[in-house]
Amino acid sequence: MKPGELSRGESELRAAFLAEVERIPGGDRLRRCIQCGTCSGSCPVSREMDVQPRQLVGYFRAGDLETILRSRTIWLCVSCYACTTRCPAGIKVTDLIYALKRMALDRRVQARDLPIYVLSEEFVRVVGRYGRNHELRLLARYLLRTDPWRLLAMVPLGWKLLLARRLQWRARRVEDLAGLRRIIARAERMEEIYVREATRFEGTVGYGALSERAVAARGAA
Amino acid sequence: MKANGDGRRIGFYICHCGSNIAATVDVAAVANHVAGLSGVAVSRHYAFMCSQPGQDMIARDIREERLDRVVVAACSPMMHELTFRNACQGAGLNRYLFQMANVREQCAWVHADRPAATEKAKSLARAAVARVAHQRPLEAATIPVNPDTLVIGGGIAGIQAALDLAEAGREVWLVERESTIGGNMARFDKTFPTLDCASCILTPKMVSVGHRKNVHILTQSQVEQVSGFAGSFEARVRKKARYVSDQCTACQECEKVCPVEVPNAFDLLLKKRKAIHKAFPQAVPNTYLIDKQERPPCREACPIGQEAAGYVALIGQGRFAEAAELIRMRNPLPVVCGRVCYHPCEAECNRGFVDEPVAIQHLKRFALDWQEKHSGGIPAPPPPTERRPEKVAIVGSGPAGLACAHDLATRGYRPTVFERDVVLGGMLALGIPRYRLPRERLLQDIDFIRRMGVEFRTGVEVGRDVTIGQLRKEGYKAFFVAAGAHVGVPLDVPGERLAGVMQGVEFLRRHALGIPPAVGRNVAVVGGGNTAVDAARTVLREGAEHVTILYRRTRAEMPAVEHEIADAEAEGVRFAYLRAPLEVLGEDGRVSGLRCVEMELGEPDASGRRRPVPVPGSEHTLSFDTVLVAIGQSPDLSLLGGEGLKLDRRGTLEANGETFATSVPGVFGGGDVVFGPATVIAAMGAGKRAAEAIDKYLRGEPLTDFHTHAVPTQIRRGESFRPHPYAPPYTQTPKRPRQAMPKLPAPDRAQGWEEVELGFTEEQAVAEAQRCLHCGVCVDCYQCVKACQPGAVDHAMKDEVLDLKVGQVLVTTGYDLFDPRRMAQYGYGRLDNVVTSLEFERMLASTGPTGGRLALKNGEEPRAVAIVHCVGSRDENYHRYCSRVCCMYALKFAHLVHDRTRAAVYEFYIDMRAYGKGYEEFYGRVLAEGVNVIRGKVAEVFAAPDAPPGEGHLIVRAEDTLLGKQREIPVDMVILCCALEPAQGIEALRRTLHLSQSPDGFLLERHPKLDPTGTASDGIFVAGCAQGPKDIPDTVAQASAAASRMLGLIARGEIAVDPIKARVEPELCGGCRICNNVCPYNAIRWLEDEKVAEVLDAVCKGCGTCVAACPAGAITGLGFSDEQIYAEIDGLLGTPEAASRVPTTLEARP
Amino acid sequence: MIYGYYPGCSLEGASRPYDRSLRFVMTALGHELKELRDWNCCGATMYMSVKETVALSLSARNLALAERNGNTLVTPCSACYTMLLKTQRCMKELPGLRRQVDEALAEAGLSYRLGVQVRHPLDVIVNDIGVEAVARKAKRRLEGLRIAPYYGCQIVRPGPAFDDPDWPTSMDDLFGALGAECVYYPDRVRCCGGMLMTTDPKVGEELTQNVLDCAIRNGAQVVATTCPLCQMNLETLQARAHAREGAIPVVFFTQLLGLALGASGTEMDLHHSLVPLGARLEELAGAPS
Repeated sequence: MKPGELSRGESELRAAFLAEVERIPGGDRLRRCIQCGTCSGSCPVSREMDVQPRQLVGYFRAGDLETILRSRTIWLCVSCYACTTRCPAGIKVTDLIYALKRMALDRRVQARDLPIYVLSEEFVRVVGRYGRNHELRLLARYLLRTDPWRLLAMVPLGWKLLLARRLQWRARRVEDLAGLRRIIARAERMEEIYVREATRFEGTVGYGALSERAVAARGAA
Repeated sequence: MKANGDGRRIGFYICHCGSNIAATVDVAAVANHVAGLSGVAVSRHYAFMCSQPGQDMIARDIREERLDRVVVAACSPMMHELTFRNACQGAGLNRYLFQMANVREQCAWVHADRPAATEKAKSLARAAVARVAHQRPLEAATIPVNPDTLVIGGGIAGIQAALDLAEAGREVWLVERESTIGGNMARFDKTFPTLDCASCILTPKMVSVGHRKNVHILTQSQVEQVSGFAGSFEARVRKKARYVSDQCTACQECEKVCPVEVPNAFDLLLKKRKAIHKAFPQAVPNTYLIDKQERPPCREACPIGQEAAGYVALIGQGRFAEAAELIRMRNPLPVVCGRVCYHPCEAECNRGFVDEPVAIQHLKRFALDWQEKHSGGIPAPPPPTERRPEKVAIVGSGPAGLACAHDLATRGYRPTVFERDVVLGGMLALGIPRYRLPRERLLQDIDFIRRMGVEFRTGVEVGRDVTIGQLRKEGYKAFFVAAGAHVGVPLDVPGERLAGVMQGVEFLRRHALGIPPAVGRNVAVVGGGNTAVDAARTVLREGAEHVTILYRRTRAEMPAVEHEIADAEAEGVRFAYLRAPLEVLGEDGRVSGLRCVEMELGEPDASGRRRPVPVPGSEHTLSFDTVLVAIGQSPDLSLLGGEGLKLDRRGTLEANGETFATSVPGVFGGGDVVFGPATVIAAMGAGKRAAEAIDKYLRGEPLTDFHTHAVPTQIRRGESFRPHPYAPPYTQTPKRPRQAMPKLPAPDRAQGWEEVELGFTEEQAVAEAQRCLHCGVCVDCYQCVKACQPGAVDHAMKDEVLDLKVGQVLVTTGYDLFDPRRMAQYGYGRLDNVVTSLEFERMLASTGPTGGRLALKNGEEPRAVAIVHCVGSRDENYHRYCSRVCCMYALKFAHLVHDRTRAAVYEFYIDMRAYGKGYEEFYGRVLAEGVNVIRGKVAEVFAAPDAPPGEGHLIVRAEDTLLGKQREIPVDMVILCCALEPAQGIEALRRTLHLSQSPDGFLLERHPKLDPTGTASDGIFVAGCAQGPKDIPDTVAQASAAASRMLGLIARGEIAVDPIKARVEPELCGGCRICNNVCPYNAIRWLEDEKVAEVLDAVCKGCGTCVAACPAGAITGLGFSDEQIYAEIDGLLGTPEAASRVPTTLEARP
Repeated sequence: MIYGYYPGCSLEGASRPYDRSLRFVMTALGHELKELRDWNCCGATMYMSVKETVALSLSARNLALAERNGNTLVTPCSACYTMLLKTQRCMKELPGLRRQVDEALAEAGLSYRLGVQVRHPLDVIVNDIGVEAVARKAKRRLEGLRIAPYYGCQIVRPGPAFDDPDWPTSMDDLFGALGAECVYYPDRVRCCGGMLMTTDPKVGEELTQNVLDCAIRNGAQVVATTCPLCQMNLETLQARAHAREGAIPVVFFTQLLGLALGASGTEMDLHHSLVPLGARLEELAGAPS
């Protein structure tokens, strides 16, 4: 590789990431990270993480998004926003992690049966079907696919909830379900186009391009 | 472009500025382009125009090419305009025939596209050339420089600068807001990196600046306004009264006797100090001061201005004798007040906002009883300061008369009191029953006044037995009429003449005189005032079976004192509210009962109380055998009428409300006789005021500016009046119930005449007194006055306003600390043992709260300490800037903790910034000492989960970013290294001085590199943390730099005033005066006679506001004439006949 | 006044008590909740991590519907609250994104002009109505009840919200004014584990347990929450077979508020708690009816 160049794969990842970052209000602030570790320190799950929240920026700078996407970190984020409110550089860490999750899923970096992925998939399905979430159905389908035994273990609890009239049997449908589905369909299409275009952007080392793209995206209105 | 450059010989020079400009602008191309413009004789480009060769080039061309105008295209005029103007002048060309074009900051630096940048540079150059052609030679006037200097802020920066200036023999005014100079540095213990003790290096400087004859230190002072300009400023400074003069020897005696303690702001409220205090032992000036804030409401509310809070504070300390003395100092009838004053003070007491008012009156009685019992009875009255020969007659020996006599006596007179009755005391003796005010008690006060040299003549009624006229013949020069209001107001209903109907006052009076009238068994008392209640309770004691008070409103509206009503109820007096008599019924000439009507409350009347209205058809009859009428009293002036005294509509004596003078010269009046029935204390207030009036009258002084206290119409209290800034809010003040006054059991009293209230025990008194909040901090107990040998204490001292004339001003207002409460995750203010860096400095200091011992709230030594960097600094949410000193003082802390304790130290940093001489070495040393440095910003601090706040230890959570590992470290103490912020109040000062500030809020220097001490306004300099966070060495250096800059100007002795000013063409001026209002520097004077405006050259800053505002176009900016500006614009736009076109509005111009 | 009301999916299911108690409380305080017609799922954290534009469009639909009647939308579920706020913010700050969302909404003949104010009931009760007013309306004092107010994450963060993100006190003030004692405990805003309880039980349960332990160790008799997921996690963990000793009930803040405002324990669904209520709360709740 020549000076200032990135591997094919990395520059593509970076491009996609930059594209995502643009969609976070003030996303380009991630350039201001001073690696102080407030995010990791504030994170309730960081001790479980293989890559510390702070290191997300570090790896990105080092041109190694691969490691991040393969990390357990992004799947452990509970989006409690503690990092985001405290970050002295005003970086929207939680939103960045959302972006990374989407990338990881989008690129199948993880196995299809990764619990969070299954859950999301089922969630999307349920919402697509009713327009609203249906806890019972969601949980049942999720457990069936991931860990049927646990479903059994859940039965007593379910029973208690049932007695407490806190179990909704039949799902409520949104009246204008057709309209809702059209919205989803349209939004999905735009999402794909967006990501595809993004990957055509030639990124370079560092992220000077970042803010320019962000500005462009904003100006696009 | 003929019209433009015609006949001119302009020299144009464009600078490469190394590659700064040349890299982006094709300087050669620009030079060629300009060479083609008309009137341009020379056009060159050169590497460094500001260099000597560059300047020489210009000079040479001016001589050899006979240039008459010069343009340099280079950096910002801020940088080098002056340089080139001087160069021109040096070569004999008027300095104002030079123009500068900024092709660096505004062109080369902000563009990437070379061709475009070059084009822009060309037009900038064209503009300058076109403009310079129209410039006229201007001559700068010079004015003398006032060699005195004003330094605002007495921290180390201010002290250093003041010393430098003083060294050079100059006069300096050093203005400091606090009570001592020294600023924040005075709070420090040691200083990094050398660890020499802050006081050891600061105090000598403080002392020497204090001793300089030519440094005038103004503490507790603030600059309120500054006008003028470089060389001659005028500053108005307000100096808060210190209440202690320079005679103070700081012997500390006053401090010992002061009863009031509050937290010391200098010690960040960690340590207590007295109301009379010194910020710290080494304070300069070494003079005590009294923290006297607003007057306590209790004193404001008292008609005689009694120092209630004062004696309460003394009682709280068990100093009963002093308390009694203090009371007697001002109060003519202390014993009486201790018993029957209706204490308006308690109604206003701020303690009422916490729980209940302090029992001030009961405490007063306690003090006097104690004095009588334990210090050999009533003391002898103090000898008067002087003797006054004039004879004064006082008519009436009631509270007003006695108070007047007392005060006249203290003023040196020997007045005579004439009393028509055989007993002295007026209503005190004849109105108030014995069980409330035992006679012997009253006599104690009267006897005291007699011993002051007052003569009493009883049984003499002025107006009948002797007239004022006769008394004048006897040599009486002044009179005070205080005959009271002893005539009861009749009910005027049918049957009032029947036997058994009697006036309440008359009944009490005869009772008091020992000739009690016969009363029946079933008595009615009509009325709701104190007289009614007194009468009722007296009749009860006379043996009546049933006593009923009839009142037309409800209990809530009764004017009588609440606890008197309660006592009456307890003793068995019955109350019939909303009841009014229509007729007194009788059988064979004697009362048999009352025909009454029930009332209900309607709309509020003038007095604000709801007006009672009869309920139709509610008439009924009640049977009584005696009726006492007590619905009001009026004065008996039948006799005095003969003296030619005017009466007013209400049938009371007419007297001036301010001076108390009546219609007859030399005769004054006060008390009930003037104001109608009021209270004892109100009458006393009147008496005291009258005494002052009479004194003034006899001395032939005008009857104005009285000193005796007058109750203000609006008394500030409650939330609008915090006892003092350091006091907790009322809601957070711990509640402590008011002490109950011990009383005789109700059944016993109803028979007897002995006093009902028994008085507080010592324990009760102390406990009660300690409930006082010490409003206003100093409570006027005057113990300090007594304690001060040199007599330096003066409670009457007033604030001063000084108008200073100075040539230059230096701002050294320093910094305040960021309030870490804003970062809730660190728990400051919520968790014990989380402290700020400044608090920790005090903790380390030998003069501090712990005397230098490192201790937790519970007094123990910490086992582990965490030091947190960057609290509020380097943080988008608070301050983006780095505070520059934290890393180093944090390391200092680490060392000192290591040095003084065995505690483990954890230092949490983001980046360790140890620039500066010896700093890195110090870092190394601290590391070597075994401090645990952890790279990572602390995320949060919390109490160990299983320990409630205050108990147990703290836990600091952070990522160790060098390990990528989470750390949760248990510690006993957390030190927050808080950001430095501009000192509060800087904003106001900034406005007064017309200075600007950088985005971080600190004052903006003229140039970040080349002029860090100057400001945009000539003659005003800035140094130290007012300009930006910096450590002591940098501060001192900057201060000295500023001082030498100022000395430079002083040495020159005169200053050139920029001739670029506004000028008014008188014949064009329409006299609309708009310019007068728009000028931000008040530089435009209005000439009334000529009816035109005139610009004061000395004051005008040439901002041009007026030029733009003048509707008649009568104002021109020299060096900014319309034609010059149009030419510049046309040049910029490259309009062919640049500037040949002159706007029509100007053609008319001469 | 009348507030637009967006219950969110959970309040139709496991968090029905939240819905019922909230409605009671608002009525008792003299205000009305008008449920948003035909609302749909907000997308929650789940959707956000799959398809952003879709997630934003979903919650934008609710905002668009809300905009048609009234300008405030009260939503009790923390996840919905944050999601709706986030949508609002993204659309405001990123015109590019806004355009896309608008396009999507247009598919259902909708459009959104950023005219809706999203509020949390706690915010409304404490800041619009005011704790004094609530205390005045109270029929019963909560004296003797030691409450651990649990704020969780998403109502005070990412903010700027109506209370301090690190040390919120709204609930403390509220219950304090009603005579209850709010225990001090550091974990009041520490995450309960959220979805991890489902996707990574080991970690999730640990987080939940920490919060509970902290509250219990500091003497709490009951935890008051503002979020369906928090409530679920905290309560069910204790209801499990392997639950630790000294379990305490976990209820929605509106359930306690309801008691103070005169509702019976039954009306507030307190008797359905999966953990014993404990003496004092039992007493306040009264016998099941």
